[in-house]
Amino acid sequence: MNIEIATLLLFAIAGVAVLSSLAVLLTRDNFYASMFMSATLIMVAGVYAFFNLQPVFVLIVFIFVGAIGIVTVALAATYRFAPERQISVIWALPVIITAFILGFSIHISNLASLEKIQFALQKFITPEYLLLVLFLTALIILLMLSVLKMGIEKEVGRS
Amino acid sequence: MHGIELSIIYVTSFAILLVGYLTAISSKDLIRLLIALELMFGAVFMSLIPLFSAFSNASFGIAIITIFTSSSELLVLIAAIVTLDRQKKNIYTSSVTIGGDKL
Repeated sequence: MNIEIATLLLFAIAGVAVLSSLAVLLTRDNFYASMFMSATLIMVAGVYAFFNLQPVFVLIVFIFVGAIGIVTVALAATYRFAPERQISVIWALPVIITAFILGFSIHISNLASLEKIQFALQKFITPEYLLLVLFLTALIILLMLSVLKMGIEKEVGRS
Repeated sequence: MHGIELSIIYVTSFAILLVGYLTAISSKDLIRLLIALELMFGAVFMSLIPLFSAFSNASFGIAIITIFTSSSELLVLIAAIVTLDRQKKNIYTSSVTIGGDKL
């Protein structure tokens, strides 16, 4: 009985996530689109909480929704367009066919049950991973510097 | 984790990814494109969940790296949007395709 209720709860969370992502596609206002996007990401984080993976939930909600999502909402509120759609409705047909094929193939593939999820962070922080994280940080700093340099050069050229 | 829960996770992830793609190709301004990218990253986060069942030791590290990498990429994109707005005085995607450096 508990398993059925848990599955229903997961289905409800996933359904709200898909519906709010559809709202991002259908709304014409950027501000509302960013709000629906934040709701989708919170629901995705909610699935992590459903499987008792609280640290990932906190990471997604605080960093991805709390930081990046809020900046996106602020940007969307600043540039609040109501643009027309470029996409034709005919595209909905191949999308529905693709979704049907994907859903059917997952349904017939008879996915094997996995073991119970356990949360652990053992033997992950090795020197190799730390080196990778260091390289990643250096790459991001270089990317940010190049973007800043573009803006500064433009300002200097203008003045 | 049961098979039905795995199916729900994968189908939801595919659905959010498809909606993200549709939003990206139908966007006329860069803010909508940014929102579409964030949706796609959300779908990627969701598809990471079964990894915690298979490789519980390494999966948290992989999730941390994925979250921080995607956040950094989106921050760079936000900085690029602000820079483009200062240069072109608009944020339409058409101005990105038409523009560019003169060689």
